[in-house]
Amino acid sequence: MSLADDLAAFLGPGRVKTDPLERHVYARDGGLRTGPVEVIVHPRTTAEVVEIVRTARNHGSPVVARGAGTGLASGAVPTGPAVLVVLTRMDEIHEVDEASRTAWVGPGLINLELSQHIAPLGLHYAPDPSSQSICTIGGNVATNAGGPHCLADGTTVAHVLGIELVTVDGEVVMLGGAAPDPIGLDLRGVVVGSEGTVGVVTRVLVRLTEDAPATRTLLLAFGDTADAAATVSDTVAAGVIPAALEMMDRVMVGLIENWIHAGFPTDAAGVLLAELAGHPAAVEAEAEMLSNIAKANGALSARLAADADEAARWWKGRKGAFGAVAQRAPDYYLHDTVVPRSRLVDILGRVHEIAERHDLEVMNVFHAGDGNLHPLMPFDAAEPGTLERVQAAADEIVTASVEAGGTLSGEHGIGLEKRDLMSLVFSPVDLDAQARLREAFDPVGLFNPDKVLPAGSRCFDYGRPAPAQ
Amino acid sequence: MTTETIGRRFHHLEVEANERMPECQLVLAPTTAEEAAAVLDAAAEHGLPVLFWGNGSHQGFGHRVETAIVISTERMNRIIEWSPADLTVVAEAGVRIGDLALRLLEENQTAVLPEAPVEATVGGVIASGQSGWGRLRYGPIRDRMLEVVLATGDGRVVRGGAPVVKNVTGYDLPRLATGSFGSLGLISRVALKLWPVGERAATVTVEAADRALAIAYRPLAVIEENGTARVYLTGTSAEVETQTAELSGTAVDGLDWPHPLAGETVLVVRVPAGLTGAATERVPSSWSYQAAFGVGEVRLAGPSEPAADLLATLRDWTATVGGAAVVERAPEALYEKVDPWGEPGPSLELQRRVKAAFDPLGICNPGRLPGKL
Amino acid sequence: MTGGWVTRDAPTPEELAACIHCGLCLPGCPTYRLTGEETASPRGRLSAMSAVADGIAAVDETFEEMMSFCLQCRACEVACPSLVPFGRAMEGARVELAAQRPSPTRRARGRLLGRRGLGSRPAVALVTMLAAIGQRLRAPRWLPGRLGGALGGLRPLPVRAPSTLSDTWEPLAARVGTAALLAGCVMDPWFAGVHTASIAVLRRAGYRVEVPAGQTCCGALAAHDGAADEARALAATNRQAFAGYDLIVADSAGCGAHLKEYESWAPGGEGWADRVRDITEVVAEAIADGRLPTQPETGTPVAMQDPCHLRHAQRIIEPPRAIVHAAGYTPVEIDPLAMCCGAAGVYSVLRPETSAELGGRKAAQVTATSARIVASANPGCEMQLRSHLGPGYRVAHPVELFAEAIE
Repeated sequence: MSLADDLAAFLGPGRVKTDPLERHVYARDGGLRTGPVEVIVHPRTTAEVVEIVRTARNHGSPVVARGAGTGLASGAVPTGPAVLVVLTRMDEIHEVDEASRTAWVGPGLINLELSQHIAPLGLHYAPDPSSQSICTIGGNVATNAGGPHCLADGTTVAHVLGIELVTVDGEVVMLGGAAPDPIGLDLRGVVVGSEGTVGVVTRVLVRLTEDAPATRTLLLAFGDTADAAATVSDTVAAGVIPAALEMMDRVMVGLIENWIHAGFPTDAAGVLLAELAGHPAAVEAEAEMLSNIAKANGALSARLAADADEAARWWKGRKGAFGAVAQRAPDYYLHDTVVPRSRLVDILGRVHEIAERHDLEVMNVFHAGDGNLHPLMPFDAAEPGTLERVQAAADEIVTASVEAGGTLSGEHGIGLEKRDLMSLVFSPVDLDAQARLREAFDPVGLFNPDKVLPAGSRCFDYGRPAPAQ
Repeated sequence: MTTETIGRRFHHLEVEANERMPECQLVLAPTTAEEAAAVLDAAAEHGLPVLFWGNGSHQGFGHRVETAIVISTERMNRIIEWSPADLTVVAEAGVRIGDLALRLLEENQTAVLPEAPVEATVGGVIASGQSGWGRLRYGPIRDRMLEVVLATGDGRVVRGGAPVVKNVTGYDLPRLATGSFGSLGLISRVALKLWPVGERAATVTVEAADRALAIAYRPLAVIEENGTARVYLTGTSAEVETQTAELSGTAVDGLDWPHPLAGETVLVVRVPAGLTGAATERVPSSWSYQAAFGVGEVRLAGPSEPAADLLATLRDWTATVGGAAVVERAPEALYEKVDPWGEPGPSLELQRRVKAAFDPLGICNPGRLPGKL
Repeated sequence: MTGGWVTRDAPTPEELAACIHCGLCLPGCPTYRLTGEETASPRGRLSAMSAVADGIAAVDETFEEMMSFCLQCRACEVACPSLVPFGRAMEGARVELAAQRPSPTRRARGRLLGRRGLGSRPAVALVTMLAAIGQRLRAPRWLPGRLGGALGGLRPLPVRAPSTLSDTWEPLAARVGTAALLAGCVMDPWFAGVHTASIAVLRRAGYRVEVPAGQTCCGALAAHDGAADEARALAATNRQAFAGYDLIVADSAGCGAHLKEYESWAPGGEGWADRVRDITEVVAEAIADGRLPTQPETGTPVAMQDPCHLRHAQRIIEPPRAIVHAAGYTPVEIDPLAMCCGAAGVYSVLRPETSAELGGRKAAQVTATSARIVASANPGCEMQLRSHLGPGYRVAHPVELFAEAIE
């Protein structure tokens, strides 16, 4: 029997797809690349995922898990014929424990739906990637997703307390739980951000966060992005950690305004969007302090959102930024590097210099408070030679970020996009250690092979080998 | 014989044994991760067990380890880089947490490490996964682990993570190392995320911890100590004043943390946060306790005699609600009577393979972890 | 496998290249939300169209299934930061289906939605008469499934269809201009009350109202179904009929949305789209100007249902709320995503199960509120809601509610 037939035997034909056009549609996620999908399956239960993993392994076919397909690093794109396990139908909210502020949810649950569901309890789920209206909790776990509000609350890994994982042997293992500090090695952190390479996550216990009793949203406009960056550094130095602190440059603001009229000043070189959340007595003072810091750094204007609607409009504009780039050109290259925030001014200058030298346009929208840069370069791949220039500029930007003490990815993940740049930040010994860790979970290379670590990471020359058993 | 060979080769690293250390033949104090790795490589070659030692503050956790060599971090005690503007610090394992806290206070920052004992080391609190009281607001220590340098059980120096506050570049070794009790190798150096210290702090004694937890917005901690509940607040002056008034309790300025528990046996009960109060009800009246509301941790101290029975009773309960009851500190005899961890849990085989990825010969703190891993 | 397009209406390379796969269109897409499948999403459908355009996939059965599952609600367009004209691309794909996968039923449907069907007054009058007789025989109770349901969604019909065609009404206030009303195909006989209310309110607002002779069905349903020739012919007829007017008013959201897009069906110079307004825009503006009165609040709640072709295609959100409010009611929001109710033109007939699932969801959103009145500015939605809500609920056009209030 073929792989598809074996899968259909327990899933039924309706939840197994093999048509060439369907496979084509599933060959890409939110990133730039496509890959060969052999079969697409839509499980609804952990037991079905177990069967899928066992069946795929019997057929020697890799397993690639996928949520909503909004990842930007081609992490859900197979590199060879694979079973694509689409988890969107495992979207239950199994249990909410209001007293402990936790919830067990399915991996296919949409991030925003979780927050909407628990809103009546005065709680929310803190990680809020730009794609939160559609991306799934499982996908968030895979990429350790961030979002503007991770500045104060941390990325996904700080909000995942327990994980149900289907292992390479088709076993269901529970990692962590609602109690603090689970005994034994804490494997949760390995799974979060592992981009589907250590197993399939079938249930997640998430931490729920109390809503802030007060929120102030500020829009600060600057005549120079360096002034905006200096404001970020000074704010943090003054002991204020806003709930979110986002920067957009002039080009980006213009594109966003074309799409929805968010009300951003289109004449400023740089715009900072800041949210202060907390006790009413604190946010008032902090908003004033932030305005003053901005003015001291030459801000052209500092505006407080008049009401929740205006703040929501600003955030909608910010969160649609990547998509708006396509108004400029059919393709774009996006970075996700992180630098120490004190190096923001330097690195922004470097990014512009590099892009200019390669005759490319660059625009910036990023999590300034975290030092997480998202320079975007729109281009048209159909123009001969452009792709090469973009690639060269991209590599230079990454190198500059790493030289500034930073790293490759803050929240999108490595996937295929940045895999071959891993050696810029890790030594061969470091990469070998990561490869061994992955091997401990998946010795046969079943789960999302070829992602995260470059080929040849596993080297048998390092360290003292275990005695033959 | 073999320990002597190692002793001769690493003579320059040898230091006096501390009387609190377990019995061993050799105590070495490397100054760098590379030196530590060289020692581990040699120990691996001879199949000799190694135990890591900071200040010994948390050696009471877990199974007893028989060791040939102790690696002390006493000479790895530098704060390598502190960037106040970036809210990050890079420190070596042997730095004392009290020293680090004082240093960071110069710029009103904190790593939210445990407050006591001040002699405990950075490496020690991380290896044993100990968080400060402020974890209710700032999360457990694992959430501040940005980067780690490990000298592994087979003599490699492995770095994971990066000294930036947000990162998904490769597998998260810093969090894996947190609470690993030296089972993967020696935590030599870490980068930690820092937080600004609020301009004002207050300790408010209130009537009921659970009610206070519902009223206060993101307090540092809500602790019930032997029936007395206190809320720890920090923030702007206005915020602390308003929150104090909202709590309608008796306030004192500053953070008046509980004193470390006295008693020869200390147990830790960990349950879902909502059950913290229920856990305190299970503490015998002759025992003292400190309960972190909103966290789900209750630490209790008392005489060693009934500890084994108490532990069994507590575990019967924690097993039904999803949690654990573990030994933090006890006379040696107790470890012979009870498993200090309890049931190792369902991922033991996976943990065994992960340990082997870093310590293939099983020489690092062998047997310390649940399941005698 | 041979791919490629064969008609001039096919999705253009520019339309397809604009999609960068960000996925922001997925949350509002009803079929994606029902299935969780990429192949049922706007992004997936564009990807499939690109595959055909690139010659790596054919217009085959799978392609047809993917395209015809789409409700054409255009919620994806609003969400798209790249401004992909999805509705246009999907209309193009439907034209390709008609050309590359012809079938007797599709051809018959094309005729039904075209000049000799909806575009023919005698044909519509005949159907109206049959339906009216059906209603009198209590057919909804005994007719099988969908047909009974559809009939149940209709307002009580007269056996002899009324018509507003060729009539003219003078303003009842200081004159501000002339409004040319689109009579539409089934609006006239089946939703006469909406026309009556629109005319009355327009007159009170100072408009002379004309219903120009020579006009016909707007052709929206034909265009959505890929019947390009029919759609073009109907559009051309209407452009001619409305040629002399500066203000063309539609009181059916679906018709208004399509009229505004005539430039791609019957090119005839710029500026046309600016002359077409939905009735809710015109009335809300008159209320804001003080040309129409505002009633004191009664506190009676009215559930606001946003027709896709009002909210997504025409981006009209506030006007119906302002009108309902000015009529003395309290507008109640039922769905922040404004997801399609499943009526979607002929979709309810072609895809009854999906249509019913969405209709049920929408009805549940209404019943979750205390409102017993629903305001909907589109005839298809109105019928869908009525048949899913059952007795005890009133579904009316916002302008009808307003007209009653100021009578």
